[in-house]
Amino acid sequence: MKKTLTALLALTASPALAEGTVNVLTWEGYADASFITQFEEESGCKVTATYVGSNDDFAPKLLGGGGVYDLIAPSIDTTALMIDLGLVEPLDTAAITGWGDIYQKFRDLPGLQRDGVHYGMPYSWGAIAFMYRNDVFTTPPTSIADLWNPDLAGKVSLWDDKSAIYVAARLNGDSDIYNLTDEQIEAAKAKLIEQKPLVRKYWATAGELVDLYKAGEVVISNTWAGYQSSLLAAEGIEVTEFIPTEGAEGWLDAWMVVKDTPNRECAYKFLNMQLSALGQCGVANVNGYSAANPVAAKACMSPEQFTALHQDDPDYLDSLMIWTALGERFEAYTNAWNAVKAQ
Amino acid sequence: MSGPRSLSTVLILGIPILWVVVFMLLPYGIIVTYSFWVKAYPTFKPAFQFGNYLTLVTDPQYVQVLLRTLKISALVSVLSLLLAYPFAWWLVFRCHNQSLKTWAYMAVIAPLWVSYLLRAYIWKTILGTEGILNSFLMSTGIISEPSSLFLYNQFAMVVTLTYIFIPFMVMPIYTALERIPANLSEASSDLGMAPWQTFLKVTLPLSTPGIAAGFTLTFCLSFGDFIAPFLVGGPDGNLIASVIQSQFGSALNWPLGSALSIVMLVIVLAIVSLSDRIEARANTGAH
Amino acid sequence: MAAIIELQGISKHYSRTIIGVDNVSLSVEDGEFVTLLGPSGCGKSTLLRMIGGFEAPTHGKIRLAGQDVTHVPPYRRDVNMVFQDYALFPHMTVGENIAYGLKMLGKGRDEARRMAAEALEMVGLADKIDQRPMQLSGGQRQRVALARAIVRRPKVLLLDEPLSALDARLRDQMRIEMKHLHEKVGITFIMVTHDQEEALTMSDRVVVMEKGRVAQDGRPQDLYDHPASPYVANFIGTTNFLAARRSGAGVATAAGPLQVEEAVDMPDGAEVTVGFRPEKTRILAPGETAANALPARIAEVIYYGLGLRITVELADGAQVHVDTLLPDTLARSDVPRPGTPVTIAVEPHNIFVFPGKVVV
Repeated sequence: MKKTLTALLALTASPALAEGTVNVLTWEGYADASFITQFEEESGCKVTATYVGSNDDFAPKLLGGGGVYDLIAPSIDTTALMIDLGLVEPLDTAAITGWGDIYQKFRDLPGLQRDGVHYGMPYSWGAIAFMYRNDVFTTPPTSIADLWNPDLAGKVSLWDDKSAIYVAARLNGDSDIYNLTDEQIEAAKAKLIEQKPLVRKYWATAGELVDLYKAGEVVISNTWAGYQSSLLAAEGIEVTEFIPTEGAEGWLDAWMVVKDTPNRECAYKFLNMQLSALGQCGVANVNGYSAANPVAAKACMSPEQFTALHQDDPDYLDSLMIWTALGERFEAYTNAWNAVKAQ
Repeated sequence: MSGPRSLSTVLILGIPILWVVVFMLLPYGIIVTYSFWVKAYPTFKPAFQFGNYLTLVTDPQYVQVLLRTLKISALVSVLSLLLAYPFAWWLVFRCHNQSLKTWAYMAVIAPLWVSYLLRAYIWKTILGTEGILNSFLMSTGIISEPSSLFLYNQFAMVVTLTYIFIPFMVMPIYTALERIPANLSEASSDLGMAPWQTFLKVTLPLSTPGIAAGFTLTFCLSFGDFIAPFLVGGPDGNLIASVIQSQFGSALNWPLGSALSIVMLVIVLAIVSLSDRIEARANTGAH
Repeated sequence: MAAIIELQGISKHYSRTIIGVDNVSLSVEDGEFVTLLGPSGCGKSTLLRMIGGFEAPTHGKIRLAGQDVTHVPPYRRDVNMVFQDYALFPHMTVGENIAYGLKMLGKGRDEARRMAAEALEMVGLADKIDQRPMQLSGGQRQRVALARAIVRRPKVLLLDEPLSALDARLRDQMRIEMKHLHEKVGITFIMVTHDQEEALTMSDRVVVMEKGRVAQDGRPQDLYDHPASPYVANFIGTTNFLAARRSGAGVATAAGPLQVEEAVDMPDGAEVTVGFRPEKTRILAPGETAANALPARIAEVIYYGLGLRITVELADGAQVHVDTLLPDTLARSDVPRPGTPVTIAVEPHNIFVFPGKVVV
């Protein structure tokens, strides 16, 4: 009897069970088999990944009952909320090899620390660039204003996110997009309502935007730079990404350790892997995003890829308006965006 | 009272009560409670105030979405009724070939076993700019350029929701029509009424319970839908359920989301009780 | 009197082999009460539905008061039907049910209501005008159905098994009421039933149907006393059948010879079947003599209140029923016991003779 039970247990268990597990709540591609399999074999930690569709999924998933996830990878506009909600614990940076190699600018981002204590490990980054179909434009678009061009009626798409407010504010000339006044938000809202007749559909997921381009519904939109354009290239649809004259938002995803995780050992093994060449080039190859650790990136990328992902381009980095937590102002932004959609 | 008997009494009464408490009263109680709380960064805090309800009334975006949702649901229900009634009538009264009847009925019901998402996606491929409908219209020369009028707007939502929920209209109407004794139509004809008069005076009134049930089902299902706006709706396609979803999600404003849910629940309950009343009135005669 | 309904060679063929009604010709006089009688599947209901217009004959013509109505739909035919389970509209009151058919006759709302009230009065339900059919008993619904059909004063009233849904007591009562109603309104009634007693007690004329054809058509007592075939003899009342052969002026059965009165135009020795009613069969008192006496032995005695049904076995083993009324002087000990030898007798004029051998 006892033998049978042991046999059954052995059957249900994966080979790595003996060592440990780590449960991550993250974006698609961030726990891709192309590099996770190797990690599981080397570390003995079994990785179970759950994917989110938006930064808004992190808080509800963790508030709805904790204890399930060990690591999360929210974006820089959501990290502060995680700290404020008390959902994550301080990082033991000493236990992270290569911590010092991360871009200084990223390590010091206010959204990743509280009272000088670090809570987030920068992982990957990119721009919310703009994108257009090559075969439609004779003169390449260069400005956000091109998304308000009446000639493109019914062919425009915009990300279904509060980011739309950032876009419209920049078009209005309000460049401090994360500290907009009520009047500026109202103006952005009006601008977006003015654009509505031109909009075919607000895209909600990466795949949806790819489908919209593929089906010929949309010819210009904003995009998660590097990701959707490569998916479209694979489908044979030629698109070009561009940073408009009004500038682009920049995003950064950071790994955070969920408070009181029982799998701390595997969690840190996972963090170390993600910051190493394996993880950094893993995400760069799968998602087309830039790496947060240029030292590791240099070791594993071809010079062409290294350049294409702006890994040695401090000016590019500085030109991006890196997302900032909106804090108390968050509601004003989301409310304005909901009001636009309600129209 | 003896031991086993009281135990069985406890079980007989207890299980349904437990069910109602755990699956109805408790969740609704929680939602009602939240609806009086107040948003406070980073989440929300307990309170007893009507601010959330006040917001729903004063901020035009909520009334706007609510009215739009009511309009879409009503259109879906009416369109479903207009399509389902003649079909069910034909099945019950005119289709005498039993296997054809079975097949025709199954053809309408079978999509229920297909994933909701798949059914909605099908309409995306039909209605799209490079979709089947446009290809057809262009090949027949009706239009020369593909039209973008079919997808990503309220029309597409109504069509998709009608397609998805029409089985819920066909089934109760079919049942209601089938329950009408055949000799009532004969009696009406015998008493001098032409077929169309018989339909208006006998068949239609006696099928009102089915119509009411079908209308309620399609209306309430459309009313709570948030997939269709996501898949085939356009920039003007936000429905109330999507707003609730965003309040519980991105806005992290559970109190406001709860207040909206309560408003929605009240509307649905009102419709259900109205339909109950119609059915009850129609049923005082028929069994 | 003129014929109000004339059926000329009416047939209903559902397919080459399934025949509902087969070449029926029938004429119904104005004001007559005619009953179509037969077992289920004999075509009587189909015939009635064709008169009503609910089904079209495949052959033949139907005339109503001289007009060819063969292909006239029910709503343009001046006949009305009382349906088997009444077919009252459940969503209308009793009054609305009855007034339903009056609007098409051009009656105004008030007049229709007045006529409905009168019709209800006639069937004794004046106080039920505002009730719903659901609230009525079976017998009351039956009366409402009658009132609804009669209020239109049709030329012909069709009744499809009108009493079959009622219990036995109510059925007896309704038989008489409907008979009276017929006399009162003077409309032609054509009724369908499978109940021979109903047919005999209510109708002026009974049409017995068999497999889509008319087996016999006549007054109730003619059918009873002179059945045209063993089928009719068996369907109306009970009949003892014995196989026999023509012999001289009478017939010879295996149990003995019988004298008959019916003229039998058949050669000597031809196979025939004789039939006689149990109540026309007597058990002779000891020492009594009579024509057509046959020795027998009591097999079974069944008491049914009004009298006794005694089954006897003839010399050849054939069984014969004898119905006797129970005289009040008969002591319990005088009830015949099984096994007792007796003699039975039938008067010659009470014997039917049918050609051929019949298996009943």
